[in-house]
Amino acid sequence: MARMKFLCDAERCIECNGCVTACKQEHEVPWGVNRRRVVTLNDGLPGEKSISVACMHCSDAPCMAVCPVDCFYKTAEGVVLHDKDLCIGCGYCFYACPFGAPQFPQDGAFGLRGKMDKCTFCAGGPEDDNSAAEFKKYGRNRLAEGKLPACAEMCSTKALLGGDGDVVADIYRNRVLKRGKGSEVWGWGTAYGKPEKGATPPTGAKS
Amino acid sequence: MQVRLKQWLVAAILACGLFSLPVVAAEPGSAKEQAAQQRTQPGNNQPFWSDVRGGDNPYQTTQVRGVESSVLMQPAGETWRQLRNGVITIYGGWLIVAVMALIGAFYWWRGPIKLHEKQTGRQLLRFGSWDRMVHWSVAISFVLLAVTGIIILFGKHILLPIFGYTLFAWLAILAKNIHNFVGPVFAFCTILMFITFVKDNLPKLYDLQWISKAGGLFSGKHVPSGRFNAGEKAWFWGGVTLLGIVVSVTGFVLNFPNFEQGRALMQQANVIHAIAAVVFMTLSLGHIYIGTIGTEGAYEAMRTGYVDEAWAKEHHEFWYQDTLANNKGGGGVASPVAAAALKEGWKA
Repeated sequence: MARMKFLCDAERCIECNGCVTACKQEHEVPWGVNRRRVVTLNDGLPGEKSISVACMHCSDAPCMAVCPVDCFYKTAEGVVLHDKDLCIGCGYCFYACPFGAPQFPQDGAFGLRGKMDKCTFCAGGPEDDNSAAEFKKYGRNRLAEGKLPACAEMCSTKALLGGDGDVVADIYRNRVLKRGKGSEVWGWGTAYGKPEKGATPPTGAKS
Repeated sequence: MQVRLKQWLVAAILACGLFSLPVVAAEPGSAKEQAAQQRTQPGNNQPFWSDVRGGDNPYQTTQVRGVESSVLMQPAGETWRQLRNGVITIYGGWLIVAVMALIGAFYWWRGPIKLHEKQTGRQLLRFGSWDRMVHWSVAISFVLLAVTGIIILFGKHILLPIFGYTLFAWLAILAKNIHNFVGPVFAFCTILMFITFVKDNLPKLYDLQWISKAGGLFSGKHVPSGRFNAGEKAWFWGGVTLLGIVVSVTGFVLNFPNFEQGRALMQQANVIHAIAAVVFMTLSLGHIYIGTIGTEGAYEAMRTGYVDEAWAKEHHEFWYQDTLANNKGGGGVASPVAAAALKEGWKA
Protein backbone atom coordinates (compact mmCIF):
# COMPACT_ATOMS: atom_id res chain seq x y z
CA MET A 1 0.00 0.00 0.00
CA ALA A 2 1.09 3.51 -0.70
CA ARG A 3 2.80 5.56 2.02
CA MET A 4 1.35 9.07 1.72
CA LYS A 5 3.76 12.01 1.84
CA PHE A 6 3.86 15.73 1.15
CA LEU A 7 6.70 17.33 -0.76
CA CYS A 8 7.10 21.04 -1.46
CA ASP A 9 9.42 22.03 -4.28
CA ALA A 10 11.02 25.30 -3.13
CA GLU A 11 12.26 26.00 -6.68
CA ARG A 12 8.66 26.14 -7.86
CA CYS A 13 6.60 27.60 -5.01
CA ILE A 14 5.53 31.14 -5.87
CA GLU A 15 3.83 31.95 -2.56
CA CYS A 16 0.39 32.33 -4.11
CA ASN A 17 -1.24 30.76 -1.03
CA GLY A 18 -3.55 28.80 -3.31
CA CYS A 19 -2.95 25.69 -1.20
CA VAL A 20 -3.94 27.56 1.97
CA THR A 21 -7.13 28.78 0.35
CA ALA A 22 -7.93 25.40 -1.17
CA CYS A 23 -7.59 23.76 2.24
CA LYS A 24 -9.79 26.32 3.96
CA GLN A 25 -12.44 26.03 1.27
CA GLU A 26 -12.38 22.25 1.06
CA HIS A 27 -12.71 21.59 4.78
CA GLU A 28 -14.53 24.74 5.92
CA VAL A 29 -12.01 25.11 8.74
CA PRO A 30 -12.95 27.60 11.46
CA TRP A 31 -11.69 31.16 11.38
CA GLY A 32 -8.22 31.47 12.90
CA VAL A 33 -7.30 27.86 12.23
CA ASN A 34 -4.79 27.31 9.43
CA ARG A 35 -4.03 23.74 8.59
CA ARG A 36 -1.54 24.86 5.95
CA ARG A 37 0.64 27.94 5.61
CA VAL A 38 3.23 29.27 3.19
CA VAL A 39 6.48 30.56 4.70
CA THR A 40 8.80 32.71 2.62
CA LEU A 41 12.50 32.59 3.40
CA ASN A 42 14.74 35.57 2.67
CA ASP A 43 11.69 37.54 1.69
CA GLY A 44 12.74 40.35 -0.66
CA LEU A 45 16.36 39.20 -0.90
CA PRO A 46 18.13 37.46 -3.76
CA GLY A 47 17.50 33.73 -3.54
CA GLU A 48 14.08 34.11 -1.93
CA LYS A 49 12.26 30.81 -1.58
CA SER A 50 8.85 29.78 -0.33
CA ILE A 51 7.65 26.57 1.27
CA SER A 52 4.13 25.41 1.85
CA VAL A 53 3.92 23.50 5.12
CA ALA A 54 1.27 21.54 6.99
CA CYS A 55 1.25 18.31 8.96
CA MET A 56 3.85 16.09 7.26
CA HIS A 57 2.35 12.86 8.64
CA CYS A 58 5.67 11.81 10.19
CA SER A 59 6.80 8.22 10.35
CA ASP A 60 7.60 8.58 14.08
CA ALA A 61 5.11 11.32 14.89
CA PRO A 62 6.05 13.39 17.98
CA CYS A 63 2.42 14.48 18.48
CA MET A 64 1.41 10.85 18.76
CA ALA A 65 4.19 10.17 21.26
CA VAL A 66 3.41 13.00 23.66
CA CYS A 67 -0.42 12.96 23.57
CA PRO A 68 -1.58 12.29 27.16
CA VAL A 69 -4.77 10.55 25.97
CA ASP A 70 -3.26 8.76 22.98
CA CYS A 71 -5.85 10.27 20.62
CA PHE A 72 -3.66 9.94 17.50
CA TYR A 73 -3.65 7.01 15.16
CA LYS A 74 -2.08 6.21 11.84
CA THR A 75 -3.89 4.82 8.84
CA ALA A 76 -2.54 1.99 6.74
CA GLU A 77 -1.35 4.66 4.27
CA GLY A 78 0.79 6.38 6.92
CA VAL A 79 -1.58 9.31 7.44
CA VAL A 80 -1.49 10.61 11.02
CA LEU A 81 -5.04 11.34 12.20
CA HIS A 82 -6.58 12.14 15.56
CA ASP A 83 -9.85 11.62 17.38
CA LYS A 84 -11.38 14.95 18.45
CA ASP A 85 -13.74 13.17 20.84
CA LEU A 86 -10.70 12.13 22.88
CA CYS A 87 -8.59 15.30 22.50
CA ILE A 88 -8.36 17.30 25.74
CA GLY A 89 -6.78 20.38 24.15
CA CYS A 90 -3.63 20.36 26.27
CA GLY A 91 -1.40 21.69 23.48
CA TYR A 92 1.39 19.13 23.95
CA CYS A 93 1.24 18.12 20.28
CA PHE A 94 1.85 21.77 19.42
CA TYR A 95 4.94 21.85 21.65
CA ALA A 96 6.33 18.69 20.10
CA CYS A 97 5.51 19.14 16.41
CA PRO A 98 8.52 20.32 14.40
CA PHE A 99 6.29 21.84 11.71
CA GLY A 100 3.83 23.82 13.83
CA ALA A 101 0.96 21.81 12.41
CA PRO A 102 -1.46 21.48 15.37
CA GLN A 103 -3.90 24.38 15.59
CA PHE A 104 -6.37 25.37 18.29
CA PRO A 105 -9.65 27.23 17.80
CA GLN A 106 -9.49 29.16 21.10
CA ASP A 107 -7.02 31.59 22.60
CA GLY A 108 -6.38 29.37 25.59
CA ALA A 109 -6.64 31.34 28.87
CA PHE A 110 -6.71 28.71 31.65
CA GLY A 111 -5.56 26.28 28.97
CA LEU A 112 -8.97 26.28 27.28
CA ARG A 113 -7.79 25.79 23.71
CA GLY A 114 -10.62 23.67 22.35
CA LYS A 115 -10.06 20.54 20.29
CA MET A 116 -6.89 20.41 18.27
CA ASP A 117 -7.27 20.72 14.51
CA LYS A 118 -4.70 19.84 11.90
CA CYS A 119 -4.20 18.70 8.32
CA THR A 120 -5.72 15.26 7.74
CA PHE A 121 -4.13 14.68 4.34
CA CYS A 122 -7.77 15.02 3.29
CA ALA A 123 -8.44 11.68 5.00
CA GLY A 124 -11.08 12.72 7.57
CA GLY A 125 -11.20 11.12 10.99
CA PRO A 126 -12.39 8.04 12.85
CA GLU A 127 -16.07 8.57 11.93
CA ASP A 128 -17.67 6.83 8.94
CA ASP A 129 -16.16 7.99 5.64
CA ASN A 130 -17.82 11.16 4.32
CA SER A 131 -20.42 11.21 7.09
CA ALA A 132 -21.78 14.55 8.27
CA ALA A 133 -20.09 14.07 11.66
CA GLU A 134 -16.75 13.45 10.00
CA PHE A 135 -17.06 16.52 7.79
CA LYS A 136 -18.00 18.74 10.71
CA LYS A 137 -14.99 17.69 12.78
CA TYR A 138 -12.28 16.98 10.22
CA GLY A 139 -13.46 18.22 6.83
CA ARG A 140 -13.82 16.28 3.61
CA ASN A 141 -12.45 12.77 3.22
CA ARG A 142 -11.03 12.99 -0.28
CA LEU A 143 -8.89 9.88 0.03
CA ALA A 144 -12.06 7.85 0.59
CA GLU A 145 -13.38 9.36 -2.65
CA GLY A 146 -10.25 8.27 -4.49
CA LYS A 147 -8.82 11.80 -4.67
CA LEU A 148 -5.58 13.31 -3.42
CA PRO A 149 -5.25 16.30 -1.05
CA ALA A 150 -6.95 19.48 -2.29
CA CYS A 151 -3.93 21.70 -1.62
CA ALA A 152 -1.62 19.72 -3.89
CA GLU A 153 -4.28 19.32 -6.59
CA MET A 154 -4.86 23.08 -6.55
CA CYS A 155 -1.18 24.07 -6.68
CA SER A 156 -0.71 26.27 -9.76
CA THR A 157 2.97 25.44 -10.30
CA LYS A 158 2.76 21.88 -9.03
CA ALA A 159 5.30 22.81 -6.38
CA LEU A 160 3.29 21.03 -3.71
CA LEU A 161 3.05 17.31 -4.31
CA GLY A 162 0.95 15.02 -2.14
CA GLY A 163 0.45 11.31 -2.58
CA ASP A 164 2.32 8.01 -2.68
CA GLY A 165 5.80 8.87 -1.37
CA ASP A 166 7.55 6.78 -4.03
CA VAL A 167 5.69 8.42 -6.91
CA VAL A 168 6.20 11.90 -5.46
CA ALA A 169 9.92 11.24 -5.00
CA ASP A 170 10.21 10.02 -8.61
CA ILE A 171 8.58 13.18 -9.96
CA TYR A 172 10.91 15.28 -7.88
CA ARG A 173 13.99 13.32 -8.91
CA ASN A 174 13.20 13.88 -12.59
CA ARG A 175 12.78 17.58 -11.95
CA VAL A 176 16.12 17.84 -10.21
CA LEU A 177 17.87 15.92 -13.00
CA LYS A 178 16.35 18.21 -15.65
CA ARG A 179 17.03 21.54 -13.94
CA GLY A 180 20.30 20.50 -12.29
CA LYS A 181 19.64 22.24 -8.99
CA GLY A 182 17.31 22.41 -6.02
CA SER A 183 17.73 18.85 -4.84
CA GLU A 184 16.84 19.63 -1.23
CA VAL A 185 13.68 17.82 -0.24
CA TRP A 186 12.64 20.09 2.56
CA GLY A 187 11.42 18.47 5.79
CA TRP A 188 11.73 14.86 4.67
CA GLY A 189 14.63 14.07 6.98
CA THR A 190 12.65 15.30 9.98
CA ALA A 191 9.34 13.80 8.93
CA TYR A 192 10.28 10.49 7.34
CA GLY A 193 13.87 9.96 8.53
CA LYS A 194 12.93 7.65 11.38
CA PRO A 195 11.49 4.13 11.27
CA GLU A 196 7.73 3.96 10.93
CA LYS A 197 5.86 3.77 14.24
CA GLY A 198 2.27 3.11 15.17
CA ALA A 199 1.17 2.28 11.63
CA THR A 200 -1.62 -0.06 12.54
CA PRO A 201 -4.84 0.36 10.61
CA PRO A 202 -7.58 1.45 13.01
CA THR A 203 -10.39 -0.98 13.53
CA GLY A 204 -13.19 1.53 13.34
CA ALA A 205 -13.46 4.51 15.65
CA LYS A 206 -11.52 4.45 18.88
CA SER A 207 -14.21 6.09 20.94
CA MET B 1 25.13 51.53 29.40
CA GLN B 2 21.66 50.67 28.29
CA VAL B 3 23.01 48.78 25.31
CA ARG B 4 25.31 46.76 27.55
CA LEU B 5 22.41 45.95 29.86
CA LYS B 6 20.42 44.79 26.89
CA GLN B 7 23.30 42.59 25.74
CA TRP B 8 23.58 41.03 29.17
CA LEU B 9 19.87 40.39 29.19
CA VAL B 10 20.04 38.71 25.81
CA ALA B 11 23.07 36.68 26.92
CA ALA B 12 21.29 35.61 30.10
CA ILE B 13 18.19 34.59 28.20
CA LEU B 14 20.28 32.62 25.73
CA ALA B 15 22.20 30.98 28.54
CA CYS B 16 18.94 29.90 30.14
CA GLY B 17 17.51 28.76 26.85
CA LEU B 18 18.64 25.18 26.78
CA PHE B 19 16.39 24.49 23.84
CA SER B 20 16.73 27.78 22.04
CA LEU B 21 20.33 27.01 21.06
CA PRO B 22 19.56 26.42 17.38
CA VAL B 23 18.20 29.97 17.23
CA VAL B 24 21.69 31.28 17.88
CA ALA B 25 22.78 29.98 14.47
CA ALA B 26 20.51 32.43 12.66
CA GLU B 27 22.50 35.58 13.23
CA PRO B 28 21.27 38.84 11.86
CA GLY B 29 23.01 39.62 8.63
CA SER B 30 23.26 36.00 7.61
CA ALA B 31 20.65 36.64 4.95
CA LYS B 32 23.01 39.14 3.31
CA GLU B 33 25.88 36.70 3.50
CA GLN B 34 23.67 34.19 1.76
CA ALA B 35 22.83 36.67 -0.94
CA ALA B 36 26.57 37.09 -1.55
CA GLN B 37 26.99 33.32 -1.61
CA GLN B 38 24.23 33.03 -4.20
CA ARG B 39 26.55 34.87 -6.58
CA THR B 40 29.74 32.95 -5.81
CA GLN B 41 28.19 29.50 -5.28
CA PRO B 42 24.83 29.51 -7.01
CA GLY B 43 24.23 25.80 -6.53
CA ASN B 44 24.98 25.68 -2.81
CA ASN B 45 21.81 26.07 -0.80
CA GLN B 46 23.19 24.74 2.49
CA PRO B 47 23.27 28.04 4.45
CA PHE B 48 19.84 28.84 3.13
CA TRP B 49 18.36 25.64 4.48
CA SER B 50 20.18 25.95 7.79
CA ASP B 51 18.22 29.13 8.26
CA VAL B 52 14.96 27.21 8.10
CA ARG B 53 15.51 25.93 11.63
CA GLY B 54 15.70 29.44 13.04
CA GLY B 55 12.54 31.43 13.44
CA ASP B 56 13.62 34.95 14.35
CA ASN B 57 14.97 35.81 10.93
CA PRO B 58 13.25 39.09 9.98
CA TYR B 59 13.30 38.03 6.33
CA GLN B 60 11.22 34.92 7.06
CA THR B 61 7.55 35.78 6.57
CA THR B 62 4.11 34.28 6.20
CA GLN B 63 0.63 35.61 5.58
CA VAL B 64 -0.88 33.28 8.16
CA ARG B 65 -1.28 34.87 11.57
CA GLY B 66 -0.51 33.00 14.73
CA VAL B 67 2.19 32.26 17.28
CA GLU B 68 5.47 31.59 15.48
CA SER B 69 3.64 30.92 12.22
CA SER B 70 6.65 32.16 10.26
CA VAL B 71 8.82 29.44 11.81
CA LEU B 72 9.04 26.56 9.37
CA MET B 73 10.59 24.05 11.69
CA GLN B 74 11.39 23.90 15.41
CA PRO B 75 13.76 21.04 16.29
CA ALA B 76 13.44 21.79 20.03
CA GLY B 77 10.11 19.97 20.02
CA GLU B 78 11.97 16.68 19.67
CA THR B 79 14.22 17.56 22.63
CA TRP B 80 11.15 18.31 24.71
CA ARG B 81 9.55 15.05 23.66
CA GLN B 82 12.63 13.05 24.66
CA LEU B 83 12.84 14.76 28.05
CA ARG B 84 9.15 14.48 28.85
CA ASN B 85 8.54 10.99 27.56
CA GLY B 86 11.92 9.71 28.71
CA VAL B 87 13.63 11.05 31.81
CA ILE B 88 10.63 12.75 33.42
CA THR B 89 8.03 10.04 32.87
CA ILE B 90 10.27 7.06 33.59
CA TYR B 91 12.55 8.31 36.38
CA GLY B 92 9.91 10.63 37.79
CA GLY B 93 7.38 7.84 37.94
CA TRP B 94 9.73 5.37 39.59
CA LEU B 95 10.93 8.03 42.04
CA ILE B 96 7.39 8.47 43.33
CA VAL B 97 6.93 4.70 43.60
CA ALA B 98 10.30 4.30 45.35
CA VAL B 99 9.56 7.02 47.92
CA MET B 100 6.17 5.46 48.65
CA ALA B 101 7.87 2.11 49.18
CA LEU B 102 10.53 3.66 51.42
CA ILE B 103 7.91 5.34 53.57
CA GLY B 104 5.99 2.08 53.77
CA ALA B 105 9.15 0.28 54.84
CA PHE B 106 9.90 2.93 57.45
CA TYR B 107 6.40 2.61 58.88
CA TRP B 108 6.77 -1.14 59.02
CA TRP B 109 10.17 -0.78 60.71
CA ARG B 110 9.47 2.02 63.18
CA GLY B 111 5.71 2.39 63.30
CA PRO B 112 4.15 5.65 64.45
CA ILE B 113 6.00 7.92 66.85
CA LYS B 114 3.96 7.64 70.02
CA LEU B 115 3.86 9.91 73.02
CA HIS B 116 6.23 8.76 75.75
CA GLU B 117 4.41 10.53 78.56
CA LYS B 118 0.76 10.21 79.46
CA GLN B 119 -1.55 12.90 78.16
CA THR B 120 -2.19 15.69 80.62
CA GLY B 121 -5.65 16.57 79.29
CA ARG B 122 -4.60 20.21 79.18
CA GLN B 123 -4.71 21.61 75.67
CA LEU B 124 -2.54 24.21 74.00
CA LEU B 125 -3.66 26.14 70.94
CA ARG B 126 -1.12 25.33 68.21
CA PHE B 127 -2.92 26.40 65.05
CA GLY B 128 -5.62 29.10 65.06
CA SER B 129 -8.55 28.94 62.67
CA TRP B 130 -6.76 31.15 60.11
CA ASP B 131 -3.66 28.94 60.24
CA ARG B 132 -5.74 25.85 59.66
CA MET B 133 -7.82 27.44 56.91
CA VAL B 134 -4.67 28.44 55.04
CA HIS B 135 -3.02 25.06 55.58
CA TRP B 136 -5.99 23.06 54.36
CA SER B 137 -6.58 25.37 51.38
CA VAL B 138 -3.01 24.75 50.27
CA ALA B 139 -3.22 21.05 51.14
CA ILE B 140 -6.48 20.35 49.32
CA SER B 141 -5.48 22.32 46.22
CA PHE B 142 -2.07 20.60 46.26
CA VAL B 143 -3.58 17.14 46.39
CA LEU B 144 -6.02 18.01 43.59
CA LEU B 145 -3.13 19.29 41.47
CA ALA B 146 -0.97 16.26 42.28
CA VAL B 147 -3.67 13.73 41.41
CA THR B 148 -4.72 15.50 38.20
CA GLY B 149 -1.07 16.07 37.25
CA ILE B 150 -0.35 12.37 37.70
CA ILE B 151 -3.33 11.56 35.47
CA ILE B 152 -2.00 13.89 32.77
CA LEU B 153 1.61 12.64 32.93
CA PHE B 154 1.26 8.95 33.81
CA GLY B 155 -2.41 8.19 33.09
CA LYS B 156 -1.66 7.09 29.53
CA HIS B 157 0.54 4.30 30.91
CA ILE B 158 -1.38 3.37 34.06
CA LEU B 159 -5.08 4.17 33.60
CA LEU B 160 -5.64 4.11 29.85
CA PRO B 161 -5.07 0.35 29.52
CA ILE B 162 -7.62 -0.24 32.29
CA PHE B 163 -10.24 2.40 31.48
CA GLY B 164 -10.14 2.39 27.70
CA TYR B 165 -10.01 5.44 25.45
CA THR B 166 -13.44 7.00 25.99
CA LEU B 167 -13.54 6.87 29.77
CA PHE B 168 -9.92 7.88 30.16
CA ALA B 169 -10.28 10.87 27.80
CA TRP B 170 -13.28 12.01 29.85
CA LEU B 171 -11.25 11.69 33.03
CA ALA B 172 -8.27 13.46 31.43
CA ILE B 173 -10.39 16.45 30.34
CA LEU B 174 -11.71 16.71 33.87
CA ALA B 175 -8.17 16.43 35.23
CA LYS B 176 -6.85 19.07 32.87
CA ASN B 177 -9.58 21.57 33.74
CA ILE B 178 -9.28 20.96 37.48
CA HIS B 179 -5.51 21.34 37.17
CA ASN B 180 -5.78 24.58 35.21
CA PHE B 181 -8.35 26.24 37.46
CA VAL B 182 -7.08 25.01 40.83
CA GLY B 183 -3.50 25.96 39.90
CA PRO B 184 -3.96 29.71 40.38
CA VAL B 185 -5.87 29.04 43.63
CA PHE B 186 -2.90 27.04 44.88
CA ALA B 187 -0.50 29.85 43.95
CA PHE B 188 -2.63 32.39 45.81
CA CYS B 189 -3.01 30.19 48.91
CA THR B 190 0.72 29.49 48.90
CA ILE B 191 1.40 33.21 49.17
CA LEU B 192 -1.01 33.39 52.12
CA MET B 193 0.72 30.40 53.67
CA PHE B 194 4.11 32.03 53.31
CA ILE B 195 2.91 35.20 55.03
CA THR B 196 1.15 33.22 57.77
CA PHE B 197 3.98 30.89 58.73
CA VAL B 198 7.18 32.70 57.75
CA LYS B 199 7.77 34.21 61.20
CA ASP B 200 8.00 30.88 63.03
CA ASN B 201 10.03 29.33 60.21
CA LEU B 202 12.97 31.71 60.40
CA PRO B 203 16.09 29.65 61.09
CA LYS B 204 17.36 29.62 64.68
CA LEU B 205 20.68 28.48 66.09
CA TYR B 206 19.14 25.53 67.87
CA ASP B 207 17.99 24.16 64.51
CA LEU B 208 21.59 23.05 63.92
CA GLN B 209 21.33 20.61 66.79
CA TRP B 210 18.12 19.20 65.33
CA ILE B 211 19.77 18.80 61.92
CA SER B 212 22.89 17.14 63.35
CA LYS B 213 20.72 14.51 65.03
CA ALA B 214 18.35 14.25 62.05
CA GLY B 215 15.53 15.15 64.38
CA GLY B 216 15.98 11.95 66.32
CA LEU B 217 14.75 9.99 63.32
CA PHE B 218 17.02 7.05 64.08
CA SER B 219 17.65 7.42 67.80
CA GLY B 220 13.97 7.90 68.59
CA LYS B 221 14.85 10.71 70.99
CA HIS B 222 13.24 14.10 70.45
CA VAL B 223 15.42 17.14 69.91
CA PRO B 224 14.03 20.34 71.39
CA SER B 225 12.66 22.78 68.84
CA GLY B 226 10.57 25.92 68.46
CA ARG B 227 7.07 26.04 67.04
CA PHE B 228 8.48 24.37 63.94
CA ASN B 229 11.48 22.05 63.96
CA ALA B 230 14.24 22.21 61.36
CA GLY B 231 12.58 19.51 59.27
CA GLU B 232 9.37 21.51 59.09
CA LYS B 233 11.41 24.60 58.29
CA ALA B 234 13.18 22.79 55.46
CA TRP B 235 9.79 21.77 54.06
CA PHE B 236 8.58 25.37 54.43
CA TRP B 237 11.53 26.93 52.62
CA GLY B 238 12.46 24.20 50.15
CA GLY B 239 8.99 22.85 49.48
CA VAL B 240 6.26 25.42 50.05
CA THR B 241 8.34 28.47 49.17
CA LEU B 242 10.93 27.43 46.57
CA LEU B 243 9.09 24.62 44.81
CA GLY B 244 5.84 26.53 45.27
CA ILE B 245 7.26 29.49 43.37
CA VAL B 246 8.80 27.27 40.68
CA VAL B 247 5.64 25.28 39.94
CA SER B 248 3.46 28.39 40.15
CA VAL B 249 5.52 30.53 37.77
CA THR B 250 6.03 27.74 35.23
CA GLY B 251 2.39 26.77 35.66
CA PHE B 252 1.22 30.26 34.75
CA VAL B 253 3.39 30.19 31.62
CA LEU B 254 1.65 26.98 30.54
CA ASN B 255 -1.81 27.93 31.75
CA PHE B 256 -2.10 31.18 29.80
CA PRO B 257 -0.92 30.62 26.24
CA ASN B 258 -3.14 33.56 25.25
CA PHE B 259 -0.18 35.86 25.92
CA GLU B 260 1.33 34.38 22.76
CA GLN B 261 4.51 33.07 24.35
CA GLY B 262 6.57 30.88 22.05
CA ARG B 263 6.91 27.14 22.11
CA ALA B 264 10.50 27.17 23.40
CA LEU B 265 9.40 28.98 26.55
CA MET B 266 6.49 26.60 27.10
CA GLN B 267 8.69 23.54 26.54
CA GLN B 268 11.18 24.79 29.11
CA ALA B 269 8.36 25.70 31.50
CA ASN B 270 6.84 22.26 31.09
CA VAL B 271 10.12 20.44 31.80
CA ILE B 272 10.84 22.54 34.90
CA HIS B 273 7.19 22.28 36.01
CA ALA B 274 7.15 18.50 35.73
CA ILE B 275 10.50 17.96 37.48
CA ALA B 276 9.67 20.39 40.29
CA ALA B 277 6.22 18.86 40.67
CA VAL B 278 7.60 15.32 40.96
CA VAL B 279 10.09 16.45 43.63
CA PHE B 280 7.30 18.40 45.36
CA MET B 281 5.07 15.32 45.40
CA THR B 282 7.77 13.04 46.80
CA LEU B 283 8.57 15.55 49.57
CA SER B 284 4.87 16.00 50.28
CA LEU B 285 4.55 12.24 50.77
CA GLY B 286 7.02 12.56 53.62
CA HIS B 287 5.14 15.53 55.07
CA ILE B 288 1.79 13.78 54.80
CA TYR B 289 3.20 10.62 56.39
CA ILE B 290 4.72 12.47 59.35
CA GLY B 291 1.59 14.60 59.71
CA THR B 292 -0.84 11.69 59.75
CA ILE B 293 -0.02 8.06 60.57
CA GLY B 294 3.66 8.75 61.30
CA THR B 295 3.20 10.85 64.42
CA GLU B 296 0.60 10.44 67.09
CA GLY B 297 -1.28 13.68 67.62
CA ALA B 298 0.10 15.58 64.61
CA TYR B 299 -3.00 15.30 62.43
CA GLU B 300 -5.31 16.31 65.29
CA ALA B 301 -3.15 19.40 65.84
CA MET B 302 -3.91 20.63 62.35
CA ARG B 303 -7.53 19.47 62.40
CA THR B 304 -8.63 20.85 65.74
CA GLY B 305 -5.83 23.33 66.29
CA TYR B 306 -5.06 21.98 69.78
CA VAL B 307 -2.34 19.75 71.14
CA ASP B 308 -1.89 18.16 74.51
CA GLU B 309 0.72 19.69 76.76
CA ALA B 310 2.58 16.40 76.87
CA TRP B 311 2.75 16.37 73.07
CA ALA B 312 3.95 19.96 72.96
CA LYS B 313 6.65 19.28 75.54
CA GLU B 314 7.93 16.24 73.68
CA HIS B 315 7.78 17.52 70.13
CA HIS B 316 8.36 21.25 70.43
CA GLU B 317 9.89 21.90 73.80
CA PHE B 318 10.98 25.51 73.23
CA TRP B 319 7.61 26.40 71.80
CA TYR B 320 5.95 24.72 74.78
CA GLN B 321 8.00 26.78 77.23
CA ASP B 322 7.33 30.00 75.30
CA THR B 323 3.62 29.32 75.18
CA LEU B 324 3.45 28.60 78.88
CA ALA B 325 5.37 31.79 79.60
CA ASN B 326 3.02 33.78 77.38
CA ASN B 327 0.01 32.24 79.08
CA LYS B 328 1.45 33.64 82.35
CA GLY B 329 1.90 30.23 83.80
CA GLY B 330 -1.74 29.38 83.39
CA GLY B 331 -1.03 26.26 81.41
CA GLY B 332 -3.28 24.87 78.74
CA VAL B 333 -7.00 25.25 78.43
CA ALA B 334 -9.43 22.47 77.81
CA SER B 335 -11.39 24.02 74.98
CA PRO B 336 -14.64 22.38 73.89
CA VAL B 337 -13.15 21.59 70.49
CA ALA B 338 -10.07 20.08 72.00
CA ALA B 339 -12.07 18.09 74.49
CA ALA B 340 -14.15 16.66 71.68
CA ALA B 341 -11.01 15.83 69.76
CA LEU B 342 -9.59 14.13 72.79
CA LYS B 343 -12.72 12.06 73.13
CA GLU B 344 -12.64 10.64 69.61
CA GLY B 345 -9.00 10.66 68.73
CA TRP B 346 -5.44 9.87 69.61
CA LYS B 347 -5.57 7.70 72.67
CA ALA B 348 -2.28 6.99 74.33
